[in-house]
Amino acid sequence: MRTDKPISTIIFSLAALAFLSASPFVLPVYWTLILTEILIMGLFAMSFNLLLGYTGLLSFGQAGFFGVGAYATALLISRGGNSLFLCLLISLSSGAAAAGVIGYFCVRRDEIYFAMITLAFGMMLFTVAHSWIKLTGGSDGLPLMSIPSVRMFGIEFSLFNPTNMFLFVLSVTSACILFLWRLVRSPFGLMLTAIRENKQRLSFVGAGVQNLRLAAFVIAGALAGVAGGLFSLFNSMATPDFMHWGFSARPVLMTILGGSNIFFGPMLGAAVFFGLEQVITNITENWMIFLGLILTPVVIFFPRGILGTLVHYLFKKKKIKP
Amino acid sequence: MQVERWQHERAFDFARRKAAGKVKPPALQMAADPGPGRGSGPIYDLRLKVAVESFIINLLNGLSWGMLLFLISVGLTIRIIWGPGYHVVDPPAILSGVFSIFNQTYPVYRVFLVVAGPLIGLALWSFFQLTRWGKIIRAAAVDREMAEGIGIRVPILFTAVFALGTWLAAIGGALAAPHQSLAPSMGERIIIESFIVVVSGGMGSFPGAFVGALALGLFESFGTVFLGSAQMAVPYILLATVLLIRPHGFFGREL
Amino acid sequence: MSEAPILKIENLGHSYGRYMVIHDISIEVFSGDMAALIGPNGAGKTTFYNTVTGRFPPTRGRVYFNGQEITGLPAHKLVPMGLLRSFQITNIFPNLTVIENVLVPLVLHYRKGYSFLRALSGEKKLYRKAEEILDKVGILESADRPANELAYGDKRLVEMAIVLARNPKLVMLDEPTAGMNPEETERTIRLIKELAIRFGTTFFLTEHDMKVVFAVAKQIYVLHQGELIAQGDPETIRADPKVREAYLGGSVND
Repeated sequence: MRTDKPISTIIFSLAALAFLSASPFVLPVYWTLILTEILIMGLFAMSFNLLLGYTGLLSFGQAGFFGVGAYATALLISRGGNSLFLCLLISLSSGAAAAGVIGYFCVRRDEIYFAMITLAFGMMLFTVAHSWIKLTGGSDGLPLMSIPSVRMFGIEFSLFNPTNMFLFVLSVTSACILFLWRLVRSPFGLMLTAIRENKQRLSFVGAGVQNLRLAAFVIAGALAGVAGGLFSLFNSMATPDFMHWGFSARPVLMTILGGSNIFFGPMLGAAVFFGLEQVITNITENWMIFLGLILTPVVIFFPRGILGTLVHYLFKKKKIKP
Repeated sequence: MQVERWQHERAFDFARRKAAGKVKPPALQMAADPGPGRGSGPIYDLRLKVAVESFIINLLNGLSWGMLLFLISVGLTIRIIWGPGYHVVDPPAILSGVFSIFNQTYPVYRVFLVVAGPLIGLALWSFFQLTRWGKIIRAAAVDREMAEGIGIRVPILFTAVFALGTWLAAIGGALAAPHQSLAPSMGERIIIESFIVVVSGGMGSFPGAFVGALALGLFESFGTVFLGSAQMAVPYILLATVLLIRPHGFFGREL
Repeated sequence: MSEAPILKIENLGHSYGRYMVIHDISIEVFSGDMAALIGPNGAGKTTFYNTVTGRFPPTRGRVYFNGQEITGLPAHKLVPMGLLRSFQITNIFPNLTVIENVLVPLVLHYRKGYSFLRALSGEKKLYRKAEEILDKVGILESADRPANELAYGDKRLVEMAIVLARNPKLVMLDEPTAGMNPEETERTIRLIKELAIRFGTTFFLTEHDMKVVFAVAKQIYVLHQGELIAQGDPETIRADPKVREAYLGGSVND
């Protein structure tokens, strides 16, 4: 955790934000849509990395909370909800609540047991989404018939317009990332890294490790919920697959690709992931194979992830960044 | 019986191997558990497989993620060759048909599976418990540095064990093929179920795997009857329960 | 001097199954003391240490800290009460910088563990305190280096700093000089003495290096095969025949 002012990260973020805000006006719609998806999944991956990179917890169930957030928004809208703010709020709180209940059980276990038990609960959520057809529409999912618009300065911006959707997603995502940034640089953030580094020692200096982990888990769940809500708005749909452990593997892959020890690592990983998908599907249908072929050497030769390795070499001899 | 082998099985075998610390009989779970079907692919010489895997595994040894990604992507090659649809395979003539028991007809092949599974399991258990090589492998798993220190070539050994595990996965798949139809996605379900069986039974324990597989199979079967559509949650409920109450499984040792 | 002892151990015993590792140990440590428990390997020192410091509860006996019973309380509950322990194997936060290692207990001490919106770098008071501690312990110049880059002896000092950051009343040290070369051992001996003065902390060591014990401790307890066979000041212990016998006439006369 850096304790000095990370000028480079701040400059990078501001530049990225400026660039991204302008992008939908210059790029073809197709890329705007992809960027939107990258932002949403990147947020999801960054929430996941709060647990992995910072707290040392590998959770295979984050998709469950993502899905809870997605369905929360979908349900709200299907029952006539018309406020985006409310949608996001309910996605956030439902993700947090689910994470609170489930996390209470999960944080009692460590390492691989933690991974497995989060997987188990995630899949239980999946089963609920899949089987409770009356509520969730079953495996067909829940469509969002109407999407509320953004009302600003007296003008209504429809989110069916990809540019508006992108800018909306960008704002929400930026706000969440800013929150995460403050979080990891706070004393609480230090506690999380201490858990990762040596939870026994932490306990022996008087910390309630279990409770700290639960707090991190709830925050990650809340953010995953927000990402899920955004995703269902983006896709006009919430489906049970969002909760499957296979979906949980995505933030894992993205984080590993980008680097778990860098704040923006997972976001970059998301960008690479989707970028690759686009590039490869133009060549062949079987893009997953190539993904595997590309990811394998990345994981072997760049254990810090792409961004992680880049940063390491640019800022040689520095310790782990926030 | 024309046995065919499927690359995709390596994906879930890897998962089991990882969970079990490299000493696990995946076939045991599959054969004893009347679960989903397996896939098949062309059988090939064990030596060739070891050679190929030796290179790959030594490259990827310890890099679980890399291996998983590689295997999954390789497995998906199958889709190119056999296509994404289902295939039905019949059991060999000698094992097909039914016989009656207590006025119910019961497929011969299933009885064969019920017998073959535990036999394979027993063979594995005796290999690891009673033979010299089995003991060497267990020693290396317990304390790798010590084993290397007395001259055991651990990387090669673990490669061999991985090959053995993969081979067993293949056998399991082949045995189960006539039992259910083949499809490229069938490996996915077994990964999770294998994890659950291994964790419930206790990592590093063969009797545990057997008990775990039986437990899972029974729970699933009864779940279908009593729980209706929620039955797909049964394996996960079992997993969560075991992890909360006794994380090292029925027969596992305290980690 | 009839004040209450800071640490009172009454008939402490612990068995693993049917095997009684330590039994009937009674010790009183007073504030400002420098006490040490010595015993050959296998005598039960580590078990004693673990049962008192909250690793696991003893099967028999009671422990009182500042008059309060603490028998069997887990370590993280003992910490806010003022009882801290160090580890035999250096147990620090490897990838955090040295100053961050010390900030961790400080954050807890000042109850900011859940403060999540203020930047850590804004907590000037914590940083000042951390630097103060690092300075007293002697590793201030390594403040911004990752802790695992330090030499073993320095890591030990980080460990000490972590412990002292919580301003403990009693620090239990488990074989603090294990694995150190003579120079580092010297340094540690001096450090413990200095810290006792500078911080006013009471120290209780378990050790098997006789030289360290005689150099540092004022009250010595000798453990042999799970029992206390002698206690007293260094002179008394040196002269005690039972102690000599236990150590087979070896290191006692160092």
